[in-house]
Amino acid sequence: MIQHIKVHEVLQQSVAGFYADLVTRPTGRAVRESIERALPAGTIAVMDFTGVGCLDYSCADEIVAKLVREKVRVLLLRGTSDAHRDAIEPVLLGHGLAAVCERPDGTLHVIGAREPAAALLDELVAQQVAARTPGGAIALTAA
Amino acid sequence: MTRLVEVPVQFDDRSFDQFAAAYAQAADGERVLFDAHAAEWASPYGLVGLLAAGEAAGRRERPLLTVPANTEVVSYWARAGFFREAADLFEIHGKVPRTKPATESEVLLPVTPVRAAEDVHAVVSTIQQRASAILAKELGLDPKATMGFAMALSEACQNIVEHAGAGGWVAVQAYNWRRKLARRVVVIAVADAGVGFRHSLEPSQAKRFGDRWGDAAALEAALIQGTSRFRDPGRGQGLAGIRRYLARWEGKVAIRSGTARIAIVPRWDDDVPLRDGLPAFPGSQVLLIIPEQGSAQA
Repeated sequence: MIQHIKVHEVLQQSVAGFYADLVTRPTGRAVRESIERALPAGTIAVMDFTGVGCLDYSCADEIVAKLVREKVRVLLLRGTSDAHRDAIEPVLLGHGLAAVCERPDGTLHVIGAREPAAALLDELVAQQVAARTPGGAIALTAA
Repeated sequence: MTRLVEVPVQFDDRSFDQFAAAYAQAADGERVLFDAHAAEWASPYGLVGLLAAGEAAGRRERPLLTVPANTEVVSYWARAGFFREAADLFEIHGKVPRTKPATESEVLLPVTPVRAAEDVHAVVSTIQQRASAILAKELGLDPKATMGFAMALSEACQNIVEHAGAGGWVAVQAYNWRRKLARRVVVIAVADAGVGFRHSLEPSQAKRFGDRWGDAAALEAALIQGTSRFRDPGRGQGLAGIRRYLARWEGKVAIRSGTARIAIVPRWDDDVPLRDGLPAFPGSQVLLIIPEQGSAQA
């Protein structure tokens, strides 16, 4: 079963003040801890960044890298901007980790370290969470 | 006894060492008088650096500050938000206009205190509202670059919250940089009077550097090697991220801490990558410069 995380909502619930930006370590830590409480270990999770403004390296590390490293089997990123991915990708690379990213057209690609990346899409296909499209790309079978 | 520290006439990162040298002469027990009466211009780096000096000097005795004699200069410092912060640190001598920090286009972020994560949130939120048009229209940056700018600003400010052990200040301005580039730049300046990079990294890095350990080695470890005082492998990415962002836009980063200064020097600048043996100055001072795109001169 896929777990869905709406990051902007978690941010609003986890941190005092109406922030749209995921910046600073304490904010990242608070958001990750909220997510972890609701997320079974070893799961496949979709993390939706819609509505999130700025994402800095500290938050990318605290939230995305730590969830990939310690909590989830596959993390799928949805609603990310170029700037979000600019923050997430180097952080994943630094840890030797990878995550799946959903493009606006629904097809998937992997960002981060090359070695774990290859296995991620295979895992999604094997779990029948994703499938090859007629065009040869991979997309989720159920959102 | 009172020690006079002159604020340079043109007060920016280039004249900062002259200021630091005068500041370093002040001995324990001496009250410091910062004399800015002759100041004709101060960059954001100069303004936040002066506040850091005021805070450090105030640990001995509340320092004095003579405001610039030129009314236009003092008015600009007021609009840049300097006196709002200085009032808590200095015994101010001279007439300070009652001006709210500016909403004019040059002052993207007036001098703003950074003490906690909430302050970083406020800074990032403010800059996104104000900087987008300037970065895109005046500097020719891709509109998407605004988010990266906010990210770089966030990381620069977090260095204070996470490592300084004291509060600091940030200011962001856009102006024409005639002397160096003959084009517009956006400048982020962040300064604190905290423990500095060497002290922050000493427990984890000093052994590795052995006899070489000092302010210069600490700056090199932080900016070039991306090391952090934390064992967590995810730490130390903030400065690396700033470097990546600035490299994309031909920007410059320079960090002064203690007796050293390190810079990633773009091709339009002739700064020195690493200087050691500078006059000692408390804390850390960070300078980020993003130039107008398109007409870079070697």
